[in-house]
Amino acid sequence: MAAGGIARQDQQPVFVLHTYPFKETSLVVELFSRDFGRVAAIAKGARRPRSAMRGMLQAFQPLLATWSGKSELRNLHSLDWGEGLLLLNGEALMCGFYLNELLLRLLPREDPHTALFDYYSQTLRYLAAAEPMAPTLRRLELKMLQELGYAVPLTHQVEGTPIEPEHEYLYLPERGAVSPGDNETGVQLSGKTLLDMARDDYSDPATLLQSKQLMRMLLAHYLGDKPLHTRQLLIDLQEL
Amino acid sequence: MKNPTSLDNLVEALRCLPGVGPKSALRMAYHLLQRDRNGADKLAQALQGALEQIGHCSSCNNFSEQPVCNLCATGNRDARLLCVVEMPTDLMMLEQTHTYHGMYFVLMGRLSPLDGIGPREIHLDRLLKRAQDSIVEEVILATNYTVEGEATAHYISELLKARGIKVSRIARGLPMGGEIENVDSGTLAQAMMERRAVR
Repeated sequence: MAAGGIARQDQQPVFVLHTYPFKETSLVVELFSRDFGRVAAIAKGARRPRSAMRGMLQAFQPLLATWSGKSELRNLHSLDWGEGLLLLNGEALMCGFYLNELLLRLLPREDPHTALFDYYSQTLRYLAAAEPMAPTLRRLELKMLQELGYAVPLTHQVEGTPIEPEHEYLYLPERGAVSPGDNETGVQLSGKTLLDMARDDYSDPATLLQSKQLMRMLLAHYLGDKPLHTRQLLIDLQEL
Repeated sequence: MKNPTSLDNLVEALRCLPGVGPKSALRMAYHLLQRDRNGADKLAQALQGALEQIGHCSSCNNFSEQPVCNLCATGNRDARLLCVVEMPTDLMMLEQTHTYHGMYFVLMGRLSPLDGIGPREIHLDRLLKRAQDSIVEEVILATNYTVEGEATAHYISELLKARGIKVSRIARGLPMGGEIENVDSGTLAQAMMERRAVR
């Protein structure tokens, strides 16, 4: 069998989302590629001490990957460093793990999301440059839901009336903002928060706080019952 | 044809080893039973003995037959230094350099958020207690320079600094005898970013 044949892809921009051991010396690598979406590949021999790929299969680094194969698990042939090394430190690292966990949980395999890839790459650059983390995360969370096709209406109520900055609203998953009063569960927030988010303006601390509550509720809704490991880990660290 | 039950049990038991699937397990079982029954007996006894004898050192968390391991018990090590490593093999490598004479703490892993390995699994509570014995003056973080190792080092350092303990991290950069021409660009970029003043 010709290795790969037409399914060979050369020098594709990717990020490693996660790796796990496979057999004695190999790794299964979860890649987020710009043009092919989430792709899983076997890196043969990547756990051998002298493997050329060993030190490169690290999350948060822009890489160029060459793989082949048509099955769900591709064969990863080679890796090169992409443009610009990113150094994530301390808490930014944990934010990166959080983003990767979200992508692994929400992004279906083999579904290209070029815009999301570029946004993710930009987000890692912000995290590496120690930009404020909270707005950076909120932007990517929102972008991720929108790119994946979940509507997050911010400027109009469910029935179509424009959001007023002075009013209070109740935000419901799958639907959007409604006037409070009905007995439904959702996140209570001000119209200003929604309009700020629509304008991508997170300078108001109240916006930052309410947008976090909103995104947490929406993500929990789309993630289902299984909690995020990264969040649990931060809770456990707090308890020490 | 059905295998004898005890053969099936053996194959099933061998599969607990990392990287051993049903086929390798069967091959190992046949080998042990057919070609090397002495070896099999030794293996069985060694396993049994190790399980009964070996626990964790109460001081460094490494594998040990005694409550406190040899290295921790010698008394001629510098108890003011505590070096944190991920695995016993890392400790062995450091020992082979003959440059470090302090004490150790072996995490037996690293924080790995996406695998659900958290502070409990790597015994951070014990490390915190160990580092606060009022003899330790400096904790040296020698976890791997992988993203998980870095995250582990970061959180340990935050926890220790909050308790007023001095923390350092082993350096990284070009390897011994490293030529810039041949070093990978990731290492080189880090070496450039983390350059130090010449004294």
